[in-house]
Amino acid sequence: MIRTIEIVALVMGAIIAWLAATYVDSGLQFLLCEVFLLFIMSQMWNLLAGYAGQVSFGQQMFVGLGGYGLCLIANNTGIPVWATIIIVPVIVGLLAIPLGMVVFHLKHAYFAIGMWVAAEVVFQFVVKTPALGGSGGMVLRPGGEMMQGFPEQTVLPVALFLSVALIVGLRVFLRSKLGLATLAVRDNEAAAEAAGVNIWRLHMILFTLTGAGTALAAALYYTTTLFVTPLDAFQAKWVVLMMFIVVVGGLGTLTGPVVGIALFIGIRELMTAAGYSGGQYWIVMGLLSIGVLLFLPQGLWPAFSNYVQSLRGKASS
Amino acid sequence: MALISTVDVSRLFGSVYAVDRVSVELNEGEGVGLIGPNGAGKTTLLSLLAGSLKPTQGKIMMEGVDVTMLPVFARVTAGIARAAQIPQTFNRLTVRENVLLPAYFGARLSQHDAGIWVDEVLEMTDLLRRAGQQAASLGLLDRKRLELAKAVASKPRVLLLDEVAAGLTEPEIASIKEVVKRLQPGRVIVWVEHIPFALQGVCSRLLVMDKGAKLLDGPFDEVWASDVLQSTYMGM
Ligand SMILES: Nc1ncnc2c1ncn2[C@@H]1O[C@H](COP(=O)(O)OP(=O)(O)OP(=O)(O)O)[C@@H](O)[C@H]1O
Ligand SMILES: [Mg+2]
Repeated sequence: MIRTIEIVALVMGAIIAWLAATYVDSGLQFLLCEVFLLFIMSQMWNLLAGYAGQVSFGQQMFVGLGGYGLCLIANNTGIPVWATIIIVPVIVGLLAIPLGMVVFHLKHAYFAIGMWVAAEVVFQFVVKTPALGGSGGMVLRPGGEMMQGFPEQTVLPVALFLSVALIVGLRVFLRSKLGLATLAVRDNEAAAEAAGVNIWRLHMILFTLTGAGTALAAALYYTTTLFVTPLDAFQAKWVVLMMFIVVVGGLGTLTGPVVGIALFIGIRELMTAAGYSGGQYWIVMGLLSIGVLLFLPQGLWPAFSNYVQSLRGKASS
Repeated sequence: MALISTVDVSRLFGSVYAVDRVSVELNEGEGVGLIGPNGAGKTTLLSLLAGSLKPTQGKIMMEGVDVTMLPVFARVTAGIARAAQIPQTFNRLTVRENVLLPAYFGARLSQHDAGIWVDEVLEMTDLLRRAGQQAASLGLLDRKRLELAKAVASKPRVLLLDEVAAGLTEPEIASIKEVVKRLQPGRVIVWVEHIPFALQGVCSRLLVMDKGAKLLDGPFDEVWASDVLQSTYMGM
């Protein structure tokens, strides 16, 4: 099942996580939290869109649900923050089932847009509900006390380890029965059904799992910011970032999103350090996406590995 | 009781009856050849049995149970599988993975049992040496074999073969016939083919369709020799 190299990766991940918690300064920890949590969300979008073929423009809904679920439960019950972070994805996963029953009636582009509409509906509901703080949002009250004011110190090792565990988990998944079914559906949906695969059920499992995974990452993220507003949590920015990271890096590959996230954070941090204003890096990212889609449509990582392979081919022949 | 039967099934496309009130009963261990001119409705009849098309009228019964509304994947787990006229392979997967999928989900085998079974199927269909190759790289004969192997791997009790021998040479057809013969006991095999040589010796029963309707149905030699067949089918 699990291979030696994967166990090694997990152990290394745990060690690096501990080092990061102990030796990295608070400001960098905060940035790295965002990096790893965004990576997890992107990998979830990749599993849904790149492997299961269900492109969604509405995954920010799960970010919002994760953030609000965290604040609602932690503020109103005695459940500690760490336990809330575990409970939230379970609840969001359960909520995804009835949602899936509705949006699965839509196919392809209609599904993508339908998810966007669904996210917008939830956003409007949250903004107009005073009990949820309206447009002002909510503060995570027990957050600061629980983590001695430095939540990133706890969240970073968790997020880092989860990122490594996610890659290992996805590798194991792709070798499993369900993983094979996912790859087969991506190749030829009708033939997969003719082999006995219940495609609706497979899509539901992946929709639920990726929704829950996105909510988990979001709950961790809002534990570091200590407050959540609807404008931030339900913003289409989230899904645009996931798409940029996955599509530019390489849709339907496990390494692609690693490349994508490095590129995004690199561009953003370098440009802000060079004194460009907040939104200007978006222009660069937009141009980069267009360039990649035009010239290397499978994404940077597949293009790179194909190139290396062709070099090797030449060398051996 | 018949293993699988159609009761007065029809399928309409626009104003054309692709299948027109066909009733057949198919019994365990039977090899049935299905012939008829182009457009006679053979593929459509197989689609109705496999569930990829729903009849506009009539029922499909399996061991006395109405399965007309069962979706394709559930028919596969119920024991109906088809090798399609145009091979439907998973091109980015290996040959072995192509065959593993129906072993997992159609036959519902565990990973361990599926591994053993798939090796057997690959051996039988002469694909073992191609097992690690991507399906996209296969030639026509191997593609046809893979389509057959996928259908067989789901351990069907009703095996529907749609022109699995078309485009192949005689020795190649003979090797496919050997495979089908080995599969025969305990199953229903319905084999659509334009080449009589393929069906001879495998099918004991012959079904003739024309313009959607069942024209003839009986022992292979009898139907083969009948005047009606000679005039409608061979006369084309
Ligand atoms: N999806 C479809 N839509 C519309 N008409 C169809 C469709 N499928 C089949 N037909 C029509 O139904 C009739 C029967 O077609 P079918 O493919 O079942 O014939 P066949 O006996 O398998 O022929 P062949 O020997 O050429 O494979 C034909 O007139 C065909 O044009
Ligand atoms: Mg046909």
